[in-house]
Amino acid sequence: MPKIIIDNHEIEVPEGTKVIEAAEQLGIMIPRFCYHPALGSVGACRVCAVKFLEGPFKGVQMSCMIDVKDGMIVSTTDEEAVEFRQYVIEWLMLNHPHDCPVCDEGGHCLLQDMTISGGHGMRRYLGLKRTYRDQYLGPLVQHEMNRCIHCYRCSRFYQEFAGYFDLGVMQSANRTYFGRFKDGILESPFTGNLSDICPTGVYTDRPSRFFGRRWDYQRSPSLCINCSLGCHTTASARYREVVRQEARYSEAVNGYFICDRGRHGFHYARNETRPRRALIEGREVSTEEAIRAAREKLAELVKSAGPDSIACLGSGRSGLETQAMLKQLCQEKGWQGPSYFMDKSLAGKVKTAVSRLDPELAVSLHQLEGSDAIIVVGADPINEAPMLALAMRQAQRHGGKIAVVDPRPIFLPFDFTHLPVRPDEINLYLSALIKGAVDPQLIAEAGKGAAEFYQVSPSLEIVADSLQEKASILAQELRAGQKVVIVCGTQIVRETTPALAADHAQLLRAAKKQVGLFYLLPQANSFGASLLTGDEVSFSEILEGIEDGRVKSLILAENDPFYNFHDRQRLDLAIEKLDLLVVLDYFESAAVKKAQVFLPTSTLYEGGGIFINQEGRLQAAPKAYLGGISIAQIGGGNHPPRVYGRDIPGGEVRAAHQFLTQISNGDQIEDDDHTQRSLLRWIADNITPLPEIPPFDELAENGMRISSSDNTPPYFAVKWQEEKDKGNGLEDSLEIILTDWTFGTEELSSFSPPLRKLERSPCASMHTKDAARLGLDHGDKVKIKLDEGDVEVDVCAEENMASGAIVLPRHRLLEWQKIKSFPKFVSYEDVKKVST
Amino acid sequence: MKCNVDLTYAMIPKELKELLARQIAGIEHPRELVVDVMFAVQDHYGYLSDEAVEEVAELLDMSPLEVEQLATFYTFIYREPVGKYVIHVCDSVICWMEGHESLLDHLSGKLGINLGETTSDGMFSLLPVCCIGYCDRAPAILINKKVYGPLTIEKLNDILERLRAEA
Amino acid sequence: MMNYPQVLFKNRKPDRIATLEEYRQSGGYEGLGDALSKASHKDVQQVLLDAVLLGRGGAAFPAGRKLMTVADDAPHPRYIVCNADEMEPGTFKDRVLIHADPHMLIEGMIIAGYGAQAEKGIIFIRPEYESAARILEREIKIAKEAGYLGKNILGNGYSLDIVVHRSAGRYICGEVTAQLNALMGKRANPQQPPPYPTEKGLWERPTVLQNVETLACMPHILRNGPEWFKNLALTETGAGTKIFCASGKINSPGCYELPMGIRLSEIIEVHAGGMVEGSEYKACLPGGASTRFLPREFYDIEMDFDTLRNVGHRLGTGAIMVFDQKTCLVAATLNLVEFFARESCGWCTPCREGLPYIRDLLRRLEEGEGEEEYIPMLQQMSKHLWSSYCAFAPGAVSPVESLITYFEDEVREHISQKKCPFK
Ligand SMILES: Cc1cc2nc3c(=O)[nH]c(=O)nc-3n(C[C@H](O)[C@H](O)[C@H](O)COP(=O)(O)O)c2cc1C
Ligand code: SF4
Ligand code: FES
Repeated sequence: MPKIIIDNHEIEVPEGTKVIEAAEQLGIMIPRFCYHPALGSVGACRVCAVKFLEGPFKGVQMSCMIDVKDGMIVSTTDEEAVEFRQYVIEWLMLNHPHDCPVCDEGGHCLLQDMTISGGHGMRRYLGLKRTYRDQYLGPLVQHEMNRCIHCYRCSRFYQEFAGYFDLGVMQSANRTYFGRFKDGILESPFTGNLSDICPTGVYTDRPSRFFGRRWDYQRSPSLCINCSLGCHTTASARYREVVRQEARYSEAVNGYFICDRGRHGFHYARNETRPRRALIEGREVSTEEAIRAAREKLAELVKSAGPDSIACLGSGRSGLETQAMLKQLCQEKGWQGPSYFMDKSLAGKVKTAVSRLDPELAVSLHQLEGSDAIIVVGADPINEAPMLALAMRQAQRHGGKIAVVDPRPIFLPFDFTHLPVRPDEINLYLSALIKGAVDPQLIAEAGKGAAEFYQVSPSLEIVADSLQEKASILAQELRAGQKVVIVCGTQIVRETTPALAADHAQLLRAAKKQVGLFYLLPQANSFGASLLTGDEVSFSEILEGIEDGRVKSLILAENDPFYNFHDRQRLDLAIEKLDLLVVLDYFESAAVKKAQVFLPTSTLYEGGGIFINQEGRLQAAPKAYLGGISIAQIGGGNHPPRVYGRDIPGGEVRAAHQFLTQISNGDQIEDDDHTQRSLLRWIADNITPLPEIPPFDELAENGMRISSSDNTPPYFAVKWQEEKDKGNGLEDSLEIILTDWTFGTEELSSFSPPLRKLERSPCASMHTKDAARLGLDHGDKVKIKLDEGDVEVDVCAEENMASGAIVLPRHRLLEWQKIKSFPKFVSYEDVKKVST
Repeated sequence: MKCNVDLTYAMIPKELKELLARQIAGIEHPRELVVDVMFAVQDHYGYLSDEAVEEVAELLDMSPLEVEQLATFYTFIYREPVGKYVIHVCDSVICWMEGHESLLDHLSGKLGINLGETTSDGMFSLLPVCCIGYCDRAPAILINKKVYGPLTIEKLNDILERLRAEA
Repeated sequence: MMNYPQVLFKNRKPDRIATLEEYRQSGGYEGLGDALSKASHKDVQQVLLDAVLLGRGGAAFPAGRKLMTVADDAPHPRYIVCNADEMEPGTFKDRVLIHADPHMLIEGMIIAGYGAQAEKGIIFIRPEYESAARILEREIKIAKEAGYLGKNILGNGYSLDIVVHRSAGRYICGEVTAQLNALMGKRANPQQPPPYPTEKGLWERPTVLQNVETLACMPHILRNGPEWFKNLALTETGAGTKIFCASGKINSPGCYELPMGIRLSEIIEVHAGGMVEGSEYKACLPGGASTRFLPREFYDIEMDFDTLRNVGHRLGTGAIMVFDQKTCLVAATLNLVEFFARESCGWCTPCREGLPYIRDLLRRLEEGEGEEEYIPMLQQMSKHLWSSYCAFAPGAVSPVESLITYFEDEVREHISQKKCPFK
């Protein structure tokens, strides 16, 4: 490893490290605009100049463009270099508007910092400033081109890093312009990162414009809970509301970036419609009154009908504390549940995934970026977990080959091979591809289990004729790959798929490959929920209990089955039948409206929380602010009213786990930190072993991976014979596949006003062949007959999806909850064109 | 997933489109042809309109922005309407020394337009251009990429009249 | 008038282009035939190196050495690119060459292609040279029919195809790496090596790029040998002939093929017809807009790469632009900087922003609004423009720096008189 001396300090760094990076490791921050660790060096801005005194380079050179080599001696303070940098800054300021006082970047502007620290204060240039026209870029990003210093970070991120091509560089010389071909909404779901990486205020966060300056904000590390990846964010709060969220660096998880769903998904916590007061039968009451009412009613029920007349439903969007508290209560009190999943099959899939995630196989997003072949089964990255698509793009940019086996019309911002097969065929294709990719010799040497599994698993022969060529090329590419990752979804796949994905990962390992296994889970903390799930009743069984009168009370802890459960008719009837519905939640859901007792819970931002992402990474977010109703809402937009008192208005909200303690045990609540620790200890003692969890702030950057695999893996457990028999007799029907969309389906982010502007209206995607058979054209309206009535929706005829399927988004504007159970098939007669 | 109905309307003549598509299909790296395709489409419209940018993009499987990144980079791609005759007046050092300024003033006065403008009858556009490689014939101008020089006011008048007569 | 041997202009005619037949009769394609049948591609590289053939596009890099940097095991297809962009102000030799004897360029490309073991040739040509582009397309076809291009050239197993690529016009497209980006349908921003184009150029494949004139020299070197080529020059350090394009205040502007190392005074007085009536030589730019003003004191200098380099100047493209005592060099420099400011690709800060700044200072000086402090500002700023991304900006400030070095008094007069003394 080469050594270099920078400003008299010596450092040894790995081959290929740039001088600017070596300096940073020494704590010397060389100015930079165009260099960005994720985007690399391009040498455009020239502000990172330093003087090379000894070594293969001499004189003033760009520290971002030169690899550290032995014998280099570099000065960052050399007069000539300093003077040059001063000039660069003067040049950049020639045309920069002096609008810092009204610029949203003011206070965290790299240009501002560099201008001052670079020593450029007096304007010498007497010419006119160049001006540009700004563009409308959509609801998330504000454009202000006059501020541009032409570092090219935006176009490099947008095109090279993220793979979208509707924003870039136009014109030349000092008229160079960064923007779109025409005004319009940016197409990429990663646009917010433009605001993060722009070193000045060309791209700023539009929804939070003019709200405050960086130093006005309470900024705290937080987490994104809009999908299961657990990207790291920084939440900015001011005047009692979160107003902005940015990407926070995490080497293992999201790197420097996050997606727009994560960035703008927090509005549920600040919307005016958020219920802040406790309710009894819809009437606002004090929190204590509501707690007392709930406790008394529950006690009565226990007395009259026994503790098992009470059932609990939690969710995968709660922190681990709430999930665990719910479990503890059920165990201690003999209540039924908790269930955290809407159906047994989903719970089973998640449980399998979590238990099969062998620590040797689990890979982080960051590790996935380094793989040279990725096979995705039953997952739609850009729609389910957008940052996964961005990570996959990095693998693809470095030469990785990507295959997706999924019935949906998959779009990814890079070249990949799509095998659009029906859900019941996913297993077969996964198997065939992997079988084609491993060396039978090595498998034979690996032992009996692997060899037998290999023997019985289907081979490329099962692949449909039309896909043969693609599949065999893919198998070859997989065979050539040394670092292979299997990405497996848990939503649309059959129950056996997660286990099979793990089996195939093992098979690849037996074939001497470096293998990664990467599951996507339905919600941010589905992993935690799964850890806590034993053989409790499922939600369906709870409903049965309600139906036959055994269960009389339901406690919903941060779950709205009216959004999440598929059989609405059944749900409606069951809820009607209850003696008592207690709802704890932090947004205005259908369930809140039906609750006899409602308790307003705190969000992640006010309560903090522990989450475990899909990879088993335990992450903790502290509180971002103390909670309460925002000053803007209290003042109705005017000056905040002067109401004197010690309490925070609207501060009655508490963490769900605290309310749960109170409605069950009385009024005593412990402070958060204590509860968090004791609940973790309780999990470790009673549920599943946990490693020593260090102080949470030590988890800030990368969290901590906990192992969840049950260590006695029934490898190669799937019985192929049964598998092959499935899926028959479906020829003449269409399977309804419910899917996520980047915007419009995920529950929390669906409350975000800026994201609502990006939602597409729901549509039913089907293969053009199926559409043709049904006499439908792209854009027609159809009526689809579901179990509990029809849904009307536009048709999207697509080439790149499986035939024999209809894909419907789990959209907030689509009544998809008319389905009794899954898998759901409809006949061709059930799909009818609506004439308009 | 694209959900909007695809509105592909052919604006360049079918034969031209097919010809370009054939050329593109016949080459290993289609993007080598982007300038040629821009020129061909520009020749058809007289300039590269927004729709033309979109058509070029479609032919080459690029985004309109990617085409725009190039269209706006080059001198000889016109993103705004130009006259039937585009007069490029060389303003680099030799032509400057040989009196390009008086040529320009004369042209400007005679046509009633400034640099960057087009006569109201759509006949002439006046644009500056840097050294066109005819310094041995300074002062020189280009009219529709054809070179004229060394020029005097009289010669220039003749040329303009001839062009007007031909049009 | 001394009659020097005409090598590149041997077949030049006042009114038309030399045909294939005429080119052949003058020995054309002999060098190629010999090379393909008797020499290995390594021999070709060596011969070009021995001939000290320096790049005529401005950078004077040895052509043989460039070919040698293509690694033996480098992947195929490989490219040979002919740079016919010729946008350096004052330069028009490539145009004249193509119009005189296009097959010389074609043969040169085949030889260079063979030297690099390339199978694809591209001529990158500026849009103003449409007639040259058409000539080349026609003659390429003729050469192909005659068996000089295409598969298995002259039955010797080597194959090459050449296409003409039209640019849409930007000076920076003349820079090697920018040109390769332009060819790939990208914005023509330069790209700093490594990797070098000869390692990863067009489409990540080895690519050798040479100027038209450099390529045109090659057939002659292969036919007559390196010693002959070196001996064409008048100086020890020079080699070959050079096409000088003379323009400005001289009686016969045009292209002249003269031995390397010929004196500037001879070019102007003898070949270019002398200064125009009433004009005295004040300075010239010896090799295009991105070289330094050569003042009177160098009037007799021997024009070759080394001699000029030794006195802190550059021969560049050999485009000699002559200024007389009645021309304001502040105004001339302003015009030159105007050109560079307009043509900057916009990639790096010093060039994109610094040149307009310099332009503003020069304009103020020229308009009589200059201040004393502008002179050190111009000097410092020009110095720092050398730390730009590519060679464009250092070229752009060459006139500015030499203006102050040699003509500071003239600049000062603008300040003290508060107006341009030439107006
Ligand atoms: C800004 C800039 C513009 C250039 N323009 C040209 C040009 O128009 N023609 C040319 O042959 N070389 C030009 N060059 C030089 C080329 O980069 C390159 O050195 C040359 O074409 C290589 O060929 P040669 O070695 O045969 O000279 C330019 C260089 C720079 C930095
Ligand atoms: S010096 Fe910089 S801006 Fe100028 S042409 Fe080179 S890269 Fe482009
Ligand atoms: S950071 Fe090195 S040139 Fe911009």
